[in-house]
Amino acid sequence: MDKNLSKLFKQVYNYSESRLSDDIWRAIQAKEARSLKIQSLLYSFVGILSLGGFVFIAISLKQQFASSGFFEYVSLIFSDGGLIALYWKEYLLSLVDSLPIASLGALLFLLCSMLVSIRKVIQQLKGKLLFN
Amino acid sequence: MEDDSILIKRYLEGEEEGLKILIDKYTSSVYNFTLRFIGPLNTSDVVQEVFIKVWKNLKNFNEDKSQFKTWLFIITRNSITDYYRKKKSIPFSSLREEELNEDEIKDEAILPDEMLEKLQDKEILNKILNELPENYRMILALYYQEDMTFKEIGEVLGKPLNTVKSYHFRAIKLLKKLCTKI
Repeated sequence: MDKNLSKLFKQVYNYSESRLSDDIWRAIQAKEARSLKIQSLLYSFVGILSLGGFVFIAISLKQQFASSGFFEYVSLIFSDGGLIALYWKEYLLSLVDSLPIASLGALLFLLCSMLVSIRKVIQQLKGKLLFN
Repeated sequence: MEDDSILIKRYLEGEEEGLKILIDKYTSSVYNFTLRFIGPLNTSDVVQEVFIKVWKNLKNFNEDKSQFKTWLFIITRNSITDYYRKKKSIPFSSLREEELNEDEIKDEAILPDEMLEKLQDKEILNKILNELPENYRMILALYYQEDMTFKEIGEVLGKPLNTVKSYHFRAIKLLKKLCTKI
């Protein structure tokens, strides 16, 4: 490399922009804060929606359990254990058949989405606290 | 000064300071480089845009593929291209891919002392550099100001090593020619 030419380039183009790096940093911080705010709002919304759905499905699930005869099948264990031991395969099939699988799946999904949202909101709040 | 990869790691692990140090370290380089192509009026905005892109994409940066400085100048080059595109002029296509002459692929091209003396004048150097095609100017800036190797410059410009060497040789040749005219 031509060292003289390198020296020349470095001498001639040597604008020091100390204020610019502070401005850039402030712009990035502002964007980060905005992005955190949007994400917090989004996750809070999803969390609230999941909670509402969870309560709704839980109430409906309680009714479905009552109407499907699930509790009656369970109570058979305590009242007629010997008979269940004899016909355990049939008993298990009937028990599973009485389960409201779709509602249980929906409940688990909503529970997961609620927990993930809560975790994310806590992370965002922690980030915000560290950021400030 | 801390190594770039350590600073990136610190930032990705949640230490904001890592990115702040990187910005402080490279703002002047990116500013001086961009200034040559865009002029003083819009340079700060483009530099800011470059670092915002860095902040957004730092998670995707792969240090096995290239060094941080090379990656940063690829983003800078793209931002300059975007700026020109918005202005509806094409910056880096001023040179078409030409047939390479093996004689032109040389690593060294030294300017005589009297020419160097002439170029000490900032106005003369600026005037001559502004007459050079964009790619030539970019190669000279990255090579002589940023101390990048031809290989790294090739990565920034997306050109093969021999093309970069050839452009460098031609840039110096043109620089000499323009210098003798003044």
